[in-house]
Amino acid sequence: MFAKVLVSNRGEIAVRLIRALRELGIASVAVYSDADRASLAVGLADEAAYLGPSPSSESYLRIDKILEAARRHGAEAIHPGYGFLSENAEFAEACAASGIVFIGPPPEAIRKMGSKISARRVAIAAGAAVVPGTEEPIESLGQAKKIALSLGYPVLLKASAGGGGKGMRRVDREEDLDSALREASSEALRAFRNGEIYIEKLVIEPRHIEIQVLGDRHGNLIHLGERECSIQRRHQKVVEECPSPAMLRYPELRAQMGEAAVRIARHAGYCNAGTMEFLVDANRNFYFLEMNTRLQVEHPVTELVTGLDLVEWQLRIAAGERLTLSQEDVKWSGWAIECRIYAEDPGNRFLPSPGKITHLGEPSGPGLRLDSGVYPGFTVPLDYDPLLAKLAAWGPSRERAIARLDRALAEYSIAGIRANTALFREILADAEFREGRLSTAFLEGLFARREPRESNLEMEAAAALATAASMPRRPAPAREARSEWLAAGREEMLR
Amino acid sequence: MKLETVIQGRTGSIAIVPLPQGRGSAMPVVGSFRYEREDGRLAEGEFSIEALDSGAWSVLIGGRAYRVEPGAPGELMVNGAPLAVELFDPRASRQRHSSAAGHGRLNIAAPMPGKVVRVLVSQGDAVEEGQGLVVVEAMKMQNEMKSPKTGRVVEVRAKPDSAVGAGEVLMVVE
Repeated sequence: MFAKVLVSNRGEIAVRLIRALRELGIASVAVYSDADRASLAVGLADEAAYLGPSPSSESYLRIDKILEAARRHGAEAIHPGYGFLSENAEFAEACAASGIVFIGPPPEAIRKMGSKISARRVAIAAGAAVVPGTEEPIESLGQAKKIALSLGYPVLLKASAGGGGKGMRRVDREEDLDSALREASSEALRAFRNGEIYIEKLVIEPRHIEIQVLGDRHGNLIHLGERECSIQRRHQKVVEECPSPAMLRYPELRAQMGEAAVRIARHAGYCNAGTMEFLVDANRNFYFLEMNTRLQVEHPVTELVTGLDLVEWQLRIAAGERLTLSQEDVKWSGWAIECRIYAEDPGNRFLPSPGKITHLGEPSGPGLRLDSGVYPGFTVPLDYDPLLAKLAAWGPSRERAIARLDRALAEYSIAGIRANTALFREILADAEFREGRLSTAFLEGLFARREPRESNLEMEAAAALATAASMPRRPAPAREARSEWLAAGREEMLR
Repeated sequence: MKLETVIQGRTGSIAIVPLPQGRGSAMPVVGSFRYEREDGRLAEGEFSIEALDSGAWSVLIGGRAYRVEPGAPGELMVNGAPLAVELFDPRASRQRHSSAAGHGRLNIAAPMPGKVVRVLVSQGDAVEEGQGLVVVEAMKMQNEMKSPKTGRVVEVRAKPDSAVGAGEVLMVVE
């Protein structure tokens, strides 16, 4: 096993990784930009290296600076987390060239599966179904129009190197195709330094279900079951759970999808942790969508239900160890649900809300897992993704997991910035959600059917009393203040 | 003490009277209150309030416990539910907020702190309602500001690649 590992990421995932390293007795090196000098990750790590100015293009995306930091600190391996350079084959190659282990799949597998277009080819070769669409990047508007017409609108434009909904656009009419293509391509270019776009048929109201795979360098490959990630905004997940409610009624679906995922991974020569994303339609047909060749944001729900530590396995596999568990050893127990706590305003088109966290009340207690990257007084920078923390709850049943998560959300308070905690309580209380009727159109539906909340009078009074207690009082002589009180008292007695 | 309230958009008032043991500080630790809302509904009773070091308050009303915590700007969390709360002291001089929208001139303001990515129109351009004016980026998300009306761009203050604060006026449409 390694003696020292550099974590080339920030925020809550950097904290998660540094904690795992500490538990395994491995020294950790954090990296930081100007905006993150005071981050939780830097404070928790054994060592820390400065990368550069706040924009990620000058810090967390700088391969040269990260490798230089690893050399200077004597790190044997680099864990890239997710986002930034985690799915960058050049980075994986540059690590190898510097004699540093990249904790993830081999660069060839990233190349094959990192591009959505080439991943589709691998999936087809492995005998898996894919969503109808192009396999080549779009070269002209004319070509795009022809393809969109043959697939039938609505279509989805996607970034070849994409993820997290960046560079993705739904197009309903031909007249919107031109501007959508340009926007998607320029967004993709900025986010991934690759502006390639391809077109897919849009599957209406599908479930988004993904399969976690894990493989070692010795050809052992297993799956750890599914995660349901249907609840999304702007094509980015906000609530994830394991198992998928779809598996309750159709338990054979897990094995079918798991086998397909393992087959695709084998075809790609994949090892380490990875995730195959599928769209599942109302008839339980599943289509391979793309692969994430890295750890996922939502990995905690799999960990809570299987009892396995994915980060620990990533480290052991990267160090050359063999997978000591077989497919039959993987057991799923109970139910876990995670919500992504973002600095954003669900009441205003989910606009990001960076700024200083002036108060933070965090939940705790049985069955909870909070992976947070912030603390009271931390300033959430506007340079990065607005993910603050992930809150996950485990329960013996879905119902109990929901109750526990709701209880935890009620204990969670974040002040100074806007966060989406209250929206999760609405989601958890929704009848469709409780019945497990999920699709990627869930949030739109929820916004359409929600009703204004009627607040309780005594709660309002409690809020008013607390506000009165914190109001700045006008400076006044003590006697006058006293007489004010006496006057109020007299007034009260007269009533 | 009697204060005017605006809670969840509804006006009302709260009268607070200290109990004998709560006297001596500006705000009583124990007292009685009477909260009336514009819809005529009323809550009253005895309370006890404790400011906690965490920044939260524990409020007991008739033996029922309410945990009040700071929330998003302008909001408090009461037992985990957000409430928009404003209080005014009617005796304190109150600043009147005049809405100076004036004569169809509309300010296009940045909804969040960020960076101007692109300016899509120039001063003097005729614009239609819904037409994109300027693109602002924050936290990896681009937000295209659209014209709220059909009219003319009378002023362009936004400059590409410049940083802007929340509420900063980017351009003016007439």
